Amino acid sequence: MNISETQTPFDINDYIRLEQMPHFLCPGCGHGIALRALLWAIHELKIDKDKLAVVSGIGCSGRLSAYIDANTFHTTHGRPLAYATGMALARPDLHVIVITGDGDSLAIGGNHLIHACRRNLNMTCMMLNNEIYGMTGGQVSPTTSSNRYTTTTPEGNTEPVFDACALATAAGASFVGREVTMQVTGLKNLLRDGIEHHGFSFVEVISDCTEIYGRKNDLGMSPEMLLSQKATMRPDAYRNTVDVPFRPNALECGVLAKADRPEYGCATREKNARVQAKAEGK
Amino acid sequence: MDHFEVRFSGSGGQGLILSAKFLSAALVSDGYTVAQSQSYEPVSRGGLSRSDLVVSKGQAAFPLSQGLSFLLILDGAAAQASNDLLNRNSLVLVDSEQVPIPPTGDFNLVNLPFTKTARDLGNKRVANIVALSALVARSGMCSKETLETVVRTKTPPKFASLNIEAFTAGWHLV
Amino acid sequence: MANLINLQGNQACAMGAIAAGCRFYAGYPITPSSEIAETMARELPKVGGVFIQMEDEIASMGAVVGASMGGAKAMTATSGPGFSLKQENLGYACASEIPCVIINVMRGGPSTGMPTRPAQGDIMQARWGTHGDHPIIVLTPASVAECYTETIRAFELTERLRVPVIVLVDEVIGHLVETVDLEALAPKETIERRFATGPADGFEPYAVTDDMVPPFPRPGDGYRSHTTGLTHLPSGFPTQNPEKASAALLRTTDKLDLHADLIEACEIIECDNADIIIATIGISARAAQQAVTDLRAKGIKAGLFRPKTLWPFPEKRLKEVAKNAKIILVPEMNQGQLILEIERLMARHMPVIGLNKINGEAITPAEITAKVSEVLA
Repeated sequence: MNISETQTPFDINDYIRLEQMPHFLCPGCGHGIALRALLWAIHELKIDKDKLAVVSGIGCSGRLSAYIDANTFHTTHGRPLAYATGMALARPDLHVIVITGDGDSLAIGGNHLIHACRRNLNMTCMMLNNEIYGMTGGQVSPTTSSNRYTTTTPEGNTEPVFDACALATAAGASFVGREVTMQVTGLKNLLRDGIEHHGFSFVEVISDCTEIYGRKNDLGMSPEMLLSQKATMRPDAYRNTVDVPFRPNALECGVLAKADRPEYGCATREKNARVQAKAEGK
Repeated sequence: MDHFEVRFSGSGGQGLILSAKFLSAALVSDGYTVAQSQSYEPVSRGGLSRSDLVVSKGQAAFPLSQGLSFLLILDGAAAQASNDLLNRNSLVLVDSEQVPIPPTGDFNLVNLPFTKTARDLGNKRVANIVALSALVARSGMCSKETLETVVRTKTPPKFASLNIEAFTAGWHLV
Repeated sequence: MANLINLQGNQACAMGAIAAGCRFYAGYPITPSSEIAETMARELPKVGGVFIQMEDEIASMGAVVGASMGGAKAMTATSGPGFSLKQENLGYACASEIPCVIINVMRGGPSTGMPTRPAQGDIMQARWGTHGDHPIIVLTPASVAECYTETIRAFELTERLRVPVIVLVDEVIGHLVETVDLEALAPKETIERRFATGPADGFEPYAVTDDMVPPFPRPGDGYRSHTTGLTHLPSGFPTQNPEKASAALLRTTDKLDLHADLIEACEIIECDNADIIIATIGISARAAQQAVTDLRAKGIKAGLFRPKTLWPFPEKRLKEVAKNAKIILVPEMNQGQLILEIERLMARHMPVIGLNKINGEAITPAEITAKVSEVLA
């Protein structure tokens, strides 16, 4: 869709709580980029801030909700999808967006993620994957790459890595996509498409933890980490090309899965309306 | 009778709780207040099962059985389980086929062929209704009409005629 | 004309919730509370409500809090193992003052315990199950009629005060079927949450009001406020300032003291001239009620003190009622939980004696009268 012509330019100041600045993110953290992309997508979709509900969990990702000028809910560790499910069912008039992290949604909240994907309730889940528990000081997460050092893998990580998008797709999410923070416009577009999608949309954002993960593993500062994203990503346009010039096993980006499945909220409301009509008709 | 207690005992899946519900509904329409409780094992079929009614005029302070006026035993597994709650005035109805060794003691024991009667009607699963009907006929705790109405109206249409046959057969057992 | 029906305690909880205006239920199957979920699944859609069975106990508590944050009256029900799992998100509701009702039908524990057998072993968990000091209200019905009326009261209190309310039922009462007249018990009016109105500019979601219950900013009404489980300022945003943190936490607990009259409820039977007072809840209180009658018939001056609101414990009432008594007996289906609170209040004035049973069966009136005779001998 082409919206740029009819829209006022995006100004992030319209969407953040300026009184909460300065924010608490570390210098170079990718989460701020993701936040900006999300707000930009919301701007393009002309979503009324009063009707926007942002639900987050615990961790660095969880703190983002406090900076958004909307109805924001900073919930418990791993559970934002459960809270969001209740809210979306009770208030179908709200646009519900969940912000979560790799530990929040794949470890402690893994069960909620797969069932949210299966249920296909209309909401968007933005998962910020920085491969680490940053808030608690840098412990290994389900997405920490092989052999990386963390405070709980002092000799390097030996656990296999979760592919969040493959998991979400297998669990039935009707919109699954991935993007890196280096590609801000691509990320904004992906989030916009995800929010527009009628059903459960899952967007994984490859974000960088510079201060803890980057330093511990000698990955450089923000510019170096962003550049390495470029080396490991595979833009949508090149999805079907051979691995060269990309690194083998490079991350596929863009929309990875899309399916037209019944949306849970609508299906429930239709069924309930029939029950109610029958009950009142008696 | 201002206060009496009834127990339906046997094994899970025999329809004891349903019988208790029918009797309970009948007693309420006759002006009693009823407390119904049950005890069962964490299995859906088999295992010791029972349902109790504490029947009174006005809500009973303690809603669980303390001394049984009437006890129905439909399975050998339950034969001895209620002995502590029986007294010389208790009436104990026992299935003559399913309870080979009935309880012994100072109470009124009556052996009746509930299961056989049900089988003769074509479905041994209605033994619970046969027994319920016989119990009411023998004890007079509510009128025949009241109980028959409950059995008729609370049974799904598919089983209504069978249950009414069971009711009638049970009534004539005593 | 009385409209008498035979209703189960668990079903009465569900019917009470709907009568109180509950329109959202999220739950997870667990014995012996599942009939509450089943009744809600059947009845809620008829009144325009939503039922959802979530993937686990934690999620169902999360969904309830989420729905309530959206403005809905919301409830869940569970039993011991599930109650343990719900404590995390229950704590969130306590911290951020989100109204919700949790019914816990107590079964034998610990762990899987005896799933179909009654117990009263969650008295302390209901008070202190989630971490940290927190406000909580716990109600304890002792009959099917009270399952209905106390669930209604739970909604009235939670919506009025923005404190989560637990309805603590034991398996006997939950599965008991009694003859009730729901029409006679139905509420004349429902109590609604006070939603924020007025200008959004400068609105503080946790402002200190006279009644210490801040109006609730409903999403969509223009307030765009922030809710967090972090200790927060009146603005809703987190703080670690020692003075402000302390003030914020104290308000949520002081709130209960301020509204003690609204919250407190107990049943007092024959306590006026009683030498021995039996203090207990739920099915044990029904046994005690029978025991009081039996003991009085034998010339023993016994009385019953039954806190219908268990937490905050109605301590002033107990002190008044028991001031001339000689002994307090506390029968409970656990190894001694309620007695700890009663000892705290009364032990310096008179002996407080326990009667405990943990074998999966209810305490009987005969056991209480026997214990009284033994104690008096």
